[in-house]
Amino acid sequence: MEQDNQDSILDENIFLPDFCGIRMVFTVVVVSELLAIAILLTTSIEQSLSWDRLGVLSLFIQWIALCSIGILCVSRKWLIRLNDTLAGYLSYVIVLLVTVIVSELAYWSMFYIGLIDSLQSHVDFILRNLGISAILSAITLRFIYLQYQQKMHMQAHANARIQALQARIRPHFLFNSMNTIAALIRSQPENAESAVEDLSDLFRASLNKGNQLVKVADEIETAKRYIHIEQLRLGERLAVNWELEEIPDSALLPVLTLQPLLENAIYHGIEKLPQGGEIKVKGERQGDWLNIIIINPCISPDEVGQSQGNKMAVRNIDERLRITFGPPAGLKMQRETERCEVDVIFPYQEQQ
Amino acid sequence: MNILITDDEAPARTRLRSLVEELGHTVVGEAVHGEQALQLCETLQPDTILLDIRMPGMDGIETARHLMVLENPPAIIFVTAFDQHALQAFETSAVDYLLKPIRKERLEASLEKAGRLNRVQLAQVSDEQQQVRSHICTRSRNRICLVPVNKIIYFMADQKYISVVSDDGEVLIEESLKSLEEEFNERFIRVHRNALVAKDYILSMEKSPAGGHFLVLRNSDKKLEVSRRHVPGVRKIIKNLG
Repeated sequence: MEQDNQDSILDENIFLPDFCGIRMVFTVVVVSELLAIAILLTTSIEQSLSWDRLGVLSLFIQWIALCSIGILCVSRKWLIRLNDTLAGYLSYVIVLLVTVIVSELAYWSMFYIGLIDSLQSHVDFILRNLGISAILSAITLRFIYLQYQQKMHMQAHANARIQALQARIRPHFLFNSMNTIAALIRSQPENAESAVEDLSDLFRASLNKGNQLVKVADEIETAKRYIHIEQLRLGERLAVNWELEEIPDSALLPVLTLQPLLENAIYHGIEKLPQGGEIKVKGERQGDWLNIIIINPCISPDEVGQSQGNKMAVRNIDERLRITFGPPAGLKMQRETERCEVDVIFPYQEQQ
Repeated sequence: MNILITDDEAPARTRLRSLVEELGHTVVGEAVHGEQALQLCETLQPDTILLDIRMPGMDGIETARHLMVLENPPAIIFVTAFDQHALQAFETSAVDYLLKPIRKERLEASLEKAGRLNRVQLAQVSDEQQQVRSHICTRSRNRICLVPVNKIIYFMADQKYISVVSDDGEVLIEESLKSLEEEFNERFIRVHRNALVAKDYILSMEKSPAGGHFLVLRNSDKKLEVSRRHVPGVRKIIKNLG
């Protein structure tokens, strides 16, 4: 089962299609036959069309085509280990070699049967066939390659979308918030109401396009709404100290930069500590560069490894900052035994 | 039915309490973490415990394992908001669980059929999660006794029992040294056929006049013998410490 899985994954990611499949063989037979007819039509302006000629031509072309895909079918397991370019060229060479060999065999058999009486046209015959084969197989391989590239492109695009979404809405946060709201509806209806409002704002922000820039003031507002929801759940265990006076409100940041970092600070820090702790969010300005620092208590790294999801969220934010502003914008992580710090570094840039 | 609620979040506990009471059962207590849940289970003897999985310190699954040392352990129903790995483990080992926000009908059904978990099920759940315990749990003089793993200096096998020596003293447990070695191989090293030692507590290795090797340990006067085949491994660790 495992092996099967791996094979199918391999199949997805290489550009040479499976030549052994029944559909592939059928397509090749049909296309070869069409080619035989096309050649017959072009060459027979002086000569009359004859079934005999079509028969011989078809036989010849089918031999080349079927031998080629036969060899490609068998050698595919080696070809797929090479990189795409090399595999492409090797397949090309295989088809050309098959053409030469089949042409050679065809020529000599025609000679012995007596269809051809002199050897003068030998080289000419081989070169012509080679020429036709070279052009047609180049076009075919190019076609296959473009198709493959398009498929890869679509896959990569879809994956990127999924990753972006996953980094933003953690199911854990959603279900916990819903549970909190369910609990508050009876005992503290006002708080439940405001939690629903905050949650809606947060999700609206997360529906924004990937790299959209928002004012820092709005981004901080979103972060505070998030903290408000978590505060209801964690109560006294969560304290947040905001020191963001140095950051100008009009500076721009990619949407949802701060909230996922605060979520990390809670998920991997505050929530793991029975007595909770304080998250410090501090802003610093050095000339044209701004720095928002998030510091939280956390348990020592040897006790619990960081989860994959967390790493991905952080990497996404770092990448978005770098793509938007260029280095040295980005994230800087520091981890001491019981203290985690992440710095958001970005330039002071206003809306034009 | 007497029920103990365990969750680190106050709103979650409030909601569980009201649901349980609406169903006509009694909430005998609320615990905010695993350690407290163990103590309350011992004193209050609930029939069933509703156990949140994600809690600071000792999590729900480890708590469930430790509950097995009780003479009369309660039935366990796990509760979680979202935890893919745990859910998979529960499915394969047929352990009952509830998803937050909890539905009253689901809770009612679970409480009705809640039975005791067996060791096999629990072992399966923790194995699938490759979980390492944060505490060793045992009963001494009829009281539950929790030893934090990071305070343990060494495990010493002695015929039927294993003695666990920690900063807080010594207790006896009934487990195999081999399984302890497998579970805690990050933290402990085998130094002898009968002993596992915490790497953090090793200070140095001394040679006796007779040619044997002995370990000098932090917070312990006992000098543990190192058998010859384990000397290179221990030496490597001491080198890494310095």
